[in-house]
Amino acid sequence: MYLRLNSVSKLFTDTDKKTLQNISLEVEEGEFICIVGPSGCGKSTLLNLIAGLDHPTSGSIILDGREIHGPGADRVVMFQEAALYPWLNVKENVLFGLQAAGHPKTVQQEIAEKYLKLVRLWQYKDYPIHQISGGMKQRVALARALALDSKLLLMDEPFSALDKQTIHILRGELEEIWEKHRKTILYVTHSVEEAVYFSDRVVVMAENPGRIKDIIPIPFDRPRNIEHPDFVALRKQILSQVQLSARKIAAEEFDKAEGDEIK
Amino acid sequence: MKGKKFAGNILFFILLILLWQLMYTASCDWFHWAKPYAVPSPAGVADCIVYLLSNGTLLTAIVGSLLRVSFGFAISVLIGSILGASIVAFDYLAQNLKPLILGIQTLPSICWVPFAILWFGLTESAIIFVVVMGSAFGIALSIESGIKNVPPIYIKAAKTMGVDSLHLYLRVIFPAALPAFVAGLKQGWSFAWRALMSGEVMSASVGLGYTLMVGRDLADINQVMTIMLVIICIGILIDKRIFTLAEHHILKKRGLL
Ligand SMILES: Nc1ncnc2c1ncn2[C@@H]1O[C@H](COP(=O)(O)OP(=O)(O)OP(=O)(O)O)[C@@H](O)[C@H]1O
Ligand SMILES: [Mg+2]
Repeated sequence: MYLRLNSVSKLFTDTDKKTLQNISLEVEEGEFICIVGPSGCGKSTLLNLIAGLDHPTSGSIILDGREIHGPGADRVVMFQEAALYPWLNVKENVLFGLQAAGHPKTVQQEIAEKYLKLVRLWQYKDYPIHQISGGMKQRVALARALALDSKLLLMDEPFSALDKQTIHILRGELEEIWEKHRKTILYVTHSVEEAVYFSDRVVVMAENPGRIKDIIPIPFDRPRNIEHPDFVALRKQILSQVQLSARKIAAEEFDKAEGDEIK
Repeated sequence: MKGKKFAGNILFFILLILLWQLMYTASCDWFHWAKPYAVPSPAGVADCIVYLLSNGTLLTAIVGSLLRVSFGFAISVLIGSILGASIVAFDYLAQNLKPLILGIQTLPSICWVPFAILWFGLTESAIIFVVVMGSAFGIALSIESGIKNVPPIYIKAAKTMGVDSLHLYLRVIFPAALPAFVAGLKQGWSFAWRALMSGEVMSASVGLGYTLMVGRDLADINQVMTIMLVIICIGILIDKRIFTLAEHHILKKRGLL
């Protein structure tokens, strides 16, 4: 087993809210796992724990036989917000991680060029970060993450700010990279379609406390056709599960807000 | 557009000088409210500038003051950085030392003059001491808040890319906090410049503050006025030409301006 989560729980002490409760998950090497669930159910928190940026309140996370205690370049994260450095330009941002990895200078340049071309941003390589669009920022962040070539990729809604056209292109690229390099990917998304398109298994999470509600294997061959009836049926089935809990939360919040107002 | 604004500035200064001349003439010549030697006049100041320039007093005073303030400011930056960084590094210091520094920082720098004289006498060191005490603590606080306010996501991203803590400081925290540092240095500079004058007026070393006091001793109001104007001009010039320029450059590069 490549990545194993043993009943991981996370409680933020300053809020005392159980954000994650008894998350157990086993991921094979090379697996593509998508995590879906309502906003606020703890998806980003879960990725942070695996990244080693935060520690579980209880339980343990084992990667490649070793327990995770801190962050490392073997688990690159692509954050929900692009997290690029505004004092560096596009290319320097991609080079940033490569410098830490200690490649020779010329190799760094080659890798940066390769991935910037992959996300179609090579002609913007000298642009300062504030002069590119939100979607372009996400693509730079994607290039920066991929350039590090780590075996485990943790991606938090990486394509959420992109237009359909770009999503389509990048999905293809990501799938290709995943198949070619046999990376293990944990991919958080709000789009069930994306989850069914990419995953070997879809992890459906529920909120309050954040927990795994269901793990659904996706049996379809690749490349997948998002218009195939089986695909659509499975997508709708998962969507209804996610929506169910989302609607429940919306109702709860509404009631609470009303209660507050009456008080 | 820019030329028009510049012309406006010039016009304002001409009006200001005319007003000054008017007030001088009114108070000394028309109504005899004041004795001419007690009121500075534009012509008198102009004469004084020429005189102080021709005998070299002004230039040596400016050079002396600038060297002294640079030296003191450099020490302040060093002490301020060490102090600021230690407050960030140790929670204990943040809880106990920081309030103390906040308190000391409100103290006008002239209050350090008695200390300086008792410890160092009327020496160069005494003035430097006043400059350092006047500016180091403000710099320390701005270094601390600059580092504290680096967005955590920058640090997280670097950590997941395998950046070690030395490089985290050099390549993420320092550049991220740079705008705050420069703002802090700018403020520290203005404190240092003021503190320098507090120190210089009480000492007998060559400098603008000393020349100012000579003007007082000679009852030469025009010399006093001249030196005050020079002090203002140098203060503004360094603020605008060095610190504000650096600040703008940095902010512009990041699209924050
Ligand atoms: N540092 C923190 N301190 C306290 N509570 C936190 C912290 N980080 C997250 N939370 C709480 O944990 C819960 C889960 O947050 P998280 O960001 O993991 O949600 P998410 O599933 O990623 O949501 P979204 O889909 O909107 O990104 C939220 O209720 C949030 O308020
Ligand atoms: Mg999230």
